[in-house]
Amino acid sequence: MRKSLIIQLLLLGVVVGAISAAVGFLIPWLPELGSTQGKRIDDIYVLTSIICLAIFTVVAAVSIYTFFKFRAKPDDYEDGAPIHGNTVLEAVWTAIPAALVTIIGVYSAVVLVKNEHVPANAPVIEVTAQQFVWSFTYPEIGVTSGILRVKEGETYELKMQSRDVIHSFWVPQWRVKQDVVPGIETTIVVTPTKTGTFPMICTELCGLGHSTMRTSAIVLSAADYDKWAEEQKSAAEAGGAESGKQVFVNAGCGGCHILADAGGAGEVGPSLDKVLPELTADQIRESIVDPNKVITPSYQPNVMPGDYGDTLSDEQLGALVDSLVSTSQKG
Amino acid sequence: MAVDVLEHGQLEHHEVAPPAYPGGIRRFTKGGWLRALWTTPLAFGLATALVCGIRWGAHWDPVWDLAPLLTAWTIVTPIGFLIGMGAFDYWFYWISGQRTRPEDHSAHGADSWRDYLRINTDHKVIGVQYVVTTFSFYLIAGVLALFVRAELAQPGSDFVNTQSYNGLVSAHAGLMIFLFIVPIFAGFGNYVIPLMIGAPDMAFPRLNALSFWMLPIAGLIMLCGFLLPGGQFAAGWTNYAPLAEVNPVGNIMFQMGVQWAGASSIATALNFLVTIITMRAPGMTFWRMPLLVWANFTTSLLVVLATPFLAGSQFMLLLDRVLHTNFFVAENGGYVIGYQHIFWFYSHPAVYIMILPGFGIISEIIAVFSRKPVFGYRLMALSLVAILILGFSVWAHHMFVAGMAPWLRIPMMITTLLIAVPTGIKVFSWLATMWEGRIHFRTPMLFAIGFISMFVIGGLSGIYLGSVPIDIHASDTYFIVAHIHYVLFGGSVFTIFAGAYFWFPKMTGRMYNERLGKIHFWTTFVAFNVTFFPMHYVGLQGMPRRVADYAPQFADWNMVSSIGAFALGASTMLFIYNVVVSWNRGEPAPSNPWRSMTIEWQLPSPPSKFNFDEIPQVVGGPYEYGVPGARHAVFQGTGVEVKEPEKVGAH
Repeated sequence: MRKSLIIQLLLLGVVVGAISAAVGFLIPWLPELGSTQGKRIDDIYVLTSIICLAIFTVVAAVSIYTFFKFRAKPDDYEDGAPIHGNTVLEAVWTAIPAALVTIIGVYSAVVLVKNEHVPANAPVIEVTAQQFVWSFTYPEIGVTSGILRVKEGETYELKMQSRDVIHSFWVPQWRVKQDVVPGIETTIVVTPTKTGTFPMICTELCGLGHSTMRTSAIVLSAADYDKWAEEQKSAAEAGGAESGKQVFVNAGCGGCHILADAGGAGEVGPSLDKVLPELTADQIRESIVDPNKVITPSYQPNVMPGDYGDTLSDEQLGALVDSLVSTSQKG
Repeated sequence: MAVDVLEHGQLEHHEVAPPAYPGGIRRFTKGGWLRALWTTPLAFGLATALVCGIRWGAHWDPVWDLAPLLTAWTIVTPIGFLIGMGAFDYWFYWISGQRTRPEDHSAHGADSWRDYLRINTDHKVIGVQYVVTTFSFYLIAGVLALFVRAELAQPGSDFVNTQSYNGLVSAHAGLMIFLFIVPIFAGFGNYVIPLMIGAPDMAFPRLNALSFWMLPIAGLIMLCGFLLPGGQFAAGWTNYAPLAEVNPVGNIMFQMGVQWAGASSIATALNFLVTIITMRAPGMTFWRMPLLVWANFTTSLLVVLATPFLAGSQFMLLLDRVLHTNFFVAENGGYVIGYQHIFWFYSHPAVYIMILPGFGIISEIIAVFSRKPVFGYRLMALSLVAILILGFSVWAHHMFVAGMAPWLRIPMMITTLLIAVPTGIKVFSWLATMWEGRIHFRTPMLFAIGFISMFVIGGLSGIYLGSVPIDIHASDTYFIVAHIHYVLFGGSVFTIFAGAYFWFPKMTGRMYNERLGKIHFWTTFVAFNVTFFPMHYVGLQGMPRRVADYAPQFADWNMVSSIGAFALGASTMLFIYNVVVSWNRGEPAPSNPWRSMTIEWQLPSPPSKFNFDEIPQVVGGPYEYGVPGARHAVFQGTGVEVKEPEKVGAH
């Protein structure tokens, strides 16, 4: 009787275990992998999955078995056996989970230390976050861009700062995430291993434009990256003033404003395609420098950063205004 | 039998002639709704005059400034309301040195539905007030969730703008946590604990009444945020600085709402602690207490130790906004991450505040319906204590990517993973309790088993999140949303439904409809999984949480979640229908329909106004099912007579 009970339970355990393993490992739960750090995280994810699915299998098998096997008839007024406990069993199910989670903990700590090791001479990229736009500055090249470009196989140190509230940097394919906090500098260490364009997402609620605060992380092969860097460097050395459109992109205007001409697609602030034709150059300048002065109906004050007058140089501001005026006249 | 004596013996010596209702103008000076009708607007006016007067006198522009006004309104107006309702009357007599009125118990117990709508000192009335009020907030917060799921059913902006969306998400979580899950357990505890330990009432009945009435105030404050210019508080229920400080004034409604909810919570917890420590019946040693009492004891310790930190964090936000302090203003030297440390020092223990009483409910139900003693009773109680202690050492696992001191992540990871051990002990012991039992699958038992299976999934996803490297990938994504709903809905809400069905006969004196109850369970169970299981996947794949819009690749699974959410809403209608109809027309409940051993079931359903004619003598453990001749408590018939409830309680 007792033996057959255990055999039935074991059989059920095998079935439940097989289903759990299939769900756990046949479904691609994680997105494609694109960094050295991500590989280590995926390894610990697999280890944790094995442990968790095993525990789930035990609990689910016993629950299902109990559900069908120990059902009392409605008119059954008998009580069950008065078993109050079993010290050995209780010690076992205290010790085994403790051991398993200790394994996960130690392994995690090792992965963490490895993942955050910065090799000497790792190139630095400065990341600035503000509502609702990212910008990336390359000190070695001397350019700032709204899109993150990195070289395949290189280990980068991203030094991140926020200009207003907390944001968070995440590229799912790299498995790295770090909050960007006003007042302190946070860092990310990442070694991209796969070329391609990946989404770069803000994951910390940062206000009404949070869901649109995303850009791309482009991983280039060494040759492509060097070519891009060369182009940027020579453009900067040529001293050519930034075009208004470049200012628009690099200052992140497109994160909040629609402007078809410059690829702006944000819907936080008024669509510039709609409002620009009604404005003079002076009004456009005023709206950039002192955005709270005139608010488009149905929009709120204090959303747009008020410090563009300080952060943009006079040349940049002039180029931006000129280009916005000419854009609107085109349309 | 003693039970029969109780069922028939009415407490004649407590029957006091109801006080003559004052007529005329005096109806407006006696504590109650009519007095609150003028004290509330009066307090509102005083607060307005104070703020505007100071600003006018100091030549501050503008005189009418919503931030300080809302602060004053949300502090003073509720006090005016509570004074009007009579919550402080007795204490005012004391303070002013007036002769206190002899206690006539006129504020105790319910003879009609009107008695549920006033300041009432009966723990059973307060328990029902709590459960009904908090469940109403559950419905409101649930409707907010449906708005959220409607918006998320498809990518793009469909129904609401993004700021309104953030407000919906924040209010959904704020109400669910502070106005439903935390307080509804206080409601069940209020009703059941004095009965379970053989006490005539809670230790401080007037404080108990005050605790309850602070709760609807907290809820109304939070809901009023929707009416303000700039909209509802919209920085999430975590309300992180500095976003909380730069968001529109609606944010104050969260900051002040949780103050009232928190004060209510602390007062109730103190009440539970004193009641459990000092008012147990003779023979009720700690090792004979039902596990629900153990659970509420540990929970109350968590509440009194942790909740002041929540109050502190929100007051600091408020001071930054209204008095221009710089606690979290980085450019003036404030420490942004400091907010998170203080907030989570409460809000992680709050996770246990929201689940330990549920553990208690499940232990009661599983033992009764399996007809077996709780397996490893002492280890079950000790694991609650272990969770209590460890619960204070894991808060920063919410901050693995926050930019805090890097070394702190390792110890926090270790404690976080270790807290799985006492939780595991509880799950395994419940399974062992059911093993070879004679299980009756009534609705409470179905919810209890549903709870175990869902909570295990939530617990295991918690192991993933406990590992820092995995958390770095999964943090702030829909994986987190899935995890918290598996522990708070699959966990806490399932235990709440289990408890609601279990004590429904005791609280209302009627049986619920078993068939409808079972349909409710199965629809809830399926709809819950359809809603929340896919969120694990979309989260790991790259969908962040708290977004009004998302990448098109997640459209299909979000549609599935939204369909599940609406089915979940529909299943709740079954519960409401069952409760309303059964409360009115259900079969009369016997005193002990589940053949339970704990004391509350040895009393009539519902129990009489002062609970006991005679204080029971506890003679054994609470779960001695199957032990021949075992009793938990006996009424000897010649025992201590209850003359004055308060005196017996204070022995």
